[in-house]
Amino acid sequence: MEFEDEIFNDGLSKAYYKHNDNGQYVLEKDAPWAEKVSVALIISSRRALLEEIRKEVLAGRKSPLCYYMEMRQLDPGMLAKAAGIATFRVKRHLRPEVFARLNPSVLDRYTKALRVTLEELKTVPNG
Amino acid sequence: MAQELTSAGKPFSHLHSAHCESGVTAALFRDKGINISEAMAFGIGSGIFFGHLPFIKWVGLPITTYRSRPGTLFSKVAKRLGGEFITKKYHRFWWSGDITKQGMDDLRRLLREGNIVGLTTNIYWLSYFPDRFRFQFNGHNIIVLREIENGFRVADPVLDHPVDCLAEDLERARFARGPLEPKGYMYYAKSVRPDPDFRSACITAMKDSCNMMLRTPFPYVGLRGIRYLAKVTIKSPDILEAHEARRRLANIVRMQEEVGTGGAGFRFMYAAFLQETADLFGSSELADLSREMTAIGDIWREFAVVSARIIKQRGQTEETFAKAGGLMLICAGREEQLFRDLDKVARNLKS
Repeated sequence: MEFEDEIFNDGLSKAYYKHNDNGQYVLEKDAPWAEKVSVALIISSRRALLEEIRKEVLAGRKSPLCYYMEMRQLDPGMLAKAAGIATFRVKRHLRPEVFARLNPSVLDRYTKALRVTLEELKTVPNG
Repeated sequence: MAQELTSAGKPFSHLHSAHCESGVTAALFRDKGINISEAMAFGIGSGIFFGHLPFIKWVGLPITTYRSRPGTLFSKVAKRLGGEFITKKYHRFWWSGDITKQGMDDLRRLLREGNIVGLTTNIYWLSYFPDRFRFQFNGHNIIVLREIENGFRVADPVLDHPVDCLAEDLERARFARGPLEPKGYMYYAKSVRPDPDFRSACITAMKDSCNMMLRTPFPYVGLRGIRYLAKVTIKSPDILEAHEARRRLANIVRMQEEVGTGGAGFRFMYAAFLQETADLFGSSELADLSREMTAIGDIWREFAVVSARIIKQRGQTEETFAKAGGLMLICAGREEQLFRDLDKVARNLKS
């Protein structure tokens, strides 16, 4: 099965307007092919990016915060607003050596904003 | 059509609809006994629009929208059909205390009083959606029917049956941060006119839509927006990396087809609206315009298919970015003609 069929195979269908033979509009549940392909591209590129970041975190080039930010599909500005921390500080915390020295109070803000536990925030899933 | 009970014990018939905001608006009116379809709500709210905003980025991608700003559709329908709605937003000031708790308490109180409440939420945090629906978008509308054990019964118009939602999810979704924050926005009907004037509402709405599409001072919205986006798309393979250009194109197609548009970026839904108004006024001109809108929708759909082939890199020789942009330009030209005609027709209609 191709990737696009796989992610659309969850039984939750949306409604689409379709012209039937009598010229009336009816609601239909099949997603068009173009939609499937573009959603599949966006989701697969998002997953590939997340995987790349995970490897970089394991290699010590990025902080785990970067991984969880990407997982929640946030950017530094949005995360800064959600956590109540200035954007430039969030960007700094994406560096592993800065992240390692963070206060528990700052980490606590991130765990609340990202909805992860403190143990999770310190590492990334391995393997 | 799934039957469901509200907190007042009244039956609520869930209507599966293509778009969240028009679906919620229609459902709120139907709950008060006014028979209105989703397409009608969409048309009366002047939902059709176009905008490409390159300076606002959402997770690194510029925003392309095929409908008016979230929130305006509902307020326009309420105003034009004479419904009295109570809306509430929670602003974050240093003196306002814990607005999250206030917002949830108010919601529970309203449900106990027997209302069904519309909410604006962030779609990412609603965990009943699978991964493909979820991205940080702060304009998703849902209806809460009643409170259940550690959560709420929610009628999401995008899904074909009501679902359960955890209280924690809903809290996060309502008070998410980021661009266009929902700020816990909620709305419910106080009273609705029993005999709304559909004819004059439709005329006002059609004129408003024509104004928004044809006479806009900004180059990024309306028909100028379509032409601008077409130009950007044609140039994109020269300016951007190949992968990035394809990602941008995928985002346009996604906004057109996926984000609850009913197909072809709301064009089919608007055609359905024009068809209903043609029956309402008994006007053959409107029926012709509805068919023309369907034809335009088909070109948008063709654009989506061509783009999808580019994304998939099938048949690299014939499908190019220039062809995709060209299709968009054709759409722009035909839509311009359509809205000019619609403007003329709407001016001559008698309410």
